[in-house]
Amino acid sequence: MGRTIVINPVTRIEGHAKIDIEIDDNDKVVAARLHVLEFRGFEKFVEGMQVELMPTLTTRICGTCPHAHHLVAAKCADAVFGAVPPRAALLQRQLLNAGSIIHSHAIHFFALAGPDLLLGIGAAPADRNIVSLLRAAPELAKKALRLRSLGQKIAEVVGGRGTHPVTAVAGGMATVIDQAKLSQLRALSNEALELSRFALEAGKKVLTDRAELIELLPLSTHDLGTVQNDVWDLYDGTLRMCDPEGKTACEIPATKYKDVMVEEAIAHSYSKRVLFKLGSQEVDYRVGPLSRLNICGKLPTPAAQAELEEYRSKFGHPTHQVVLNHYARLIELLACAELAVSLCNDAELTSPDVQSQPTHGPRSAIAHVEAPRGLLIHDYDVDDQGLIRKANFLVATQHNISSIDKSLQVAAERFWNKPEAEFVNGVEFAIRCYDPCLSCSTHQVGQMPMLINMIRRGQVIRQVRR
Amino acid sequence: MSKVQVSFEWLSGCSGCEMSVVDLHERLLDVLDEIELVRIPILMDVKDYPKATLGIITGALKTEHDVHAAREMRKSCDKILAFGVCAVYGGPQGAAYAHKQTEIEEAIFQKNPTTRTNFIPNDVPEMLPDGVRPVDSEIDVDLYLPGCPPHAYYVAQALKAVLGGTAPEFGGHNVCFHCRRSMKKSEVVALRRSHDGPVVSDTCFMSQGILCMGSVTLDRCLAPCPQHGTACTGCAGPSENIILEPHIDIRTEIADRMSKITRIKREAIIQEMERRSKTFYAYAMASPVFRQKPTFLLRRWIEQGGT
Repeated sequence: MGRTIVINPVTRIEGHAKIDIEIDDNDKVVAARLHVLEFRGFEKFVEGMQVELMPTLTTRICGTCPHAHHLVAAKCADAVFGAVPPRAALLQRQLLNAGSIIHSHAIHFFALAGPDLLLGIGAAPADRNIVSLLRAAPELAKKALRLRSLGQKIAEVVGGRGTHPVTAVAGGMATVIDQAKLSQLRALSNEALELSRFALEAGKKVLTDRAELIELLPLSTHDLGTVQNDVWDLYDGTLRMCDPEGKTACEIPATKYKDVMVEEAIAHSYSKRVLFKLGSQEVDYRVGPLSRLNICGKLPTPAAQAELEEYRSKFGHPTHQVVLNHYARLIELLACAELAVSLCNDAELTSPDVQSQPTHGPRSAIAHVEAPRGLLIHDYDVDDQGLIRKANFLVATQHNISSIDKSLQVAAERFWNKPEAEFVNGVEFAIRCYDPCLSCSTHQVGQMPMLINMIRRGQVIRQVRR
Repeated sequence: MSKVQVSFEWLSGCSGCEMSVVDLHERLLDVLDEIELVRIPILMDVKDYPKATLGIITGALKTEHDVHAAREMRKSCDKILAFGVCAVYGGPQGAAYAHKQTEIEEAIFQKNPTTRTNFIPNDVPEMLPDGVRPVDSEIDVDLYLPGCPPHAYYVAQALKAVLGGTAPEFGGHNVCFHCRRSMKKSEVVALRRSHDGPVVSDTCFMSQGILCMGSVTLDRCLAPCPQHGTACTGCAGPSENIILEPHIDIRTEIADRMSKITRIKREAIIQEMERRSKTFYAYAMASPVFRQKPTFLLRRWIEQGGT
């Protein structure tokens, strides 16, 4: 009998989800599906609102990466009014983004995925959390929490608030970085740099010599990310799509996303998936830290670049080991800390020239940034008053939906014969490699209870519920 | 002394409230020393509803699952704290009240520029027919802490009071309380938007003709927006006078104040806020507290051609 396993809900990722695993008569896993169970409808209810309010309203799509929504909406608002931000504003936004990535990557590595990596996938469910981690490895866990705090504090000093920042506005930034803020930012960035070196070393220890862990979830697919003249960039640049061999298959500005991306609804999920058109083909692809390191020529900062070279010499280039997302995340964390330090050393960061005025009436606009979890696009169709006629958001987790399903299948095959708790967490571990933000992917977040259904020939033959 | 057991549940929201707890930063470790976290789905693999002294619910009710979860929390916890503007008033997705659920689903799954499929997911939990609802529409709530998210300052106060067995003593002041901009009489004759020319950094937004919700919004944030160059958008929900006085509404309150300090006509301000009601009422729109006010005629304003 074919059967399906349902895991519902998945904890320690952001949002609500459920998993179905389908097996055939020979107990071979033939398909796995992640169901996203809630959505809030941001794209519809922003209609009629003033476009300049989008940078603060759309932060509420996600409390983990509000900074990415804040910045991409502000980039759109710049373009709507033809107000090019002065350099000081761009430096501020990049610093805000660096802080955001430090916060998000640190919390993910240590609080969300860390328990799996550091305590083991087989650890008892009640012990597999950050609180136990604080007990088992107090120094490491405290430093990790401190690193997260530093990133969030950088975001707060620049953005006015840590969660749901407010300072990026049409044409630049609404506030100036004064000397007092600068010295705070310097101290925060310097400490973040020190701790991100420590975090990377700790992560490497866990990940480097454990081939069985690293090679747990291979998935050869296309990768998509952003580069600025071949250099990794999280704030601006062109979209680059590489094939599984690492060759550039397409490089376009994000404003042309409609020419290459198609969304499809899925009957069992509120999250739509996205396909990428390459000539006459339509391909699945992946976004996020692993992809960004696969598609870029190099990183913009020296220490992170040296780490990238070491990483590539160890694992090859490109690499399709999904588990290496965790390693890639830590290299990006280091790059962002280095960037933060160098941005603080730029004399123009404190310039009072932070906002430019509109040069034309409202026009529709599209913009993108690299959110912690991958490419984020906002697209606003506006009327002559600058009110939203239609909005379209494509978020990182949506780009990853197909890859998540495939990795789930790989994980289900690996863990299907293990004790129940390990099986469930093994499957969740696959999802957590992508650090999916289901709040974003359905433009909502909520609870992640978990139900695994095992299905054979359409019949649920076993349910695992937590 | 045994530790106070705390259970978290997140419904339809953004996880920003969970982040605001983590944003206690250094104080977080002290809090963790004093409490026993029995359930927090974003961090822990516990999926049932253990008994707890305090249940903290973030997010609004959007699906049948959310309703079930809220009831389970009520059953398993001695006290329930509605945490954040979504749990208290429905939150920003309350703006969906201006639309029918089917309109929203159609817009996202069928009439979307990059979506080529033409169906609405059907193998998924049903959304509540009346759209989004605050937590107390389903269960009794003992304590309310609005904010989007509430500032760590208030989170710390709330936890300290609850752990000490007392009720938190919050001020009922509005956002202006912490804003250092000065309100000045001006000769401004018309409303303007934030990008229509430079904004003076030490002067009240209302004096400059920009709609700011600070005077009608409860302070649970320490006023980061006006302190950093942007007008308040009302994310913590209305201030106490709006909640308690049946004849006061945010648009009349703002229009009264603004028409006195500028030369903008009171009626023009009211009219603009009615036309843009979805924008100005978004965060608390889902709450019947405001919907039933005699002045609150949101759906009619929208039907009359506003947005």
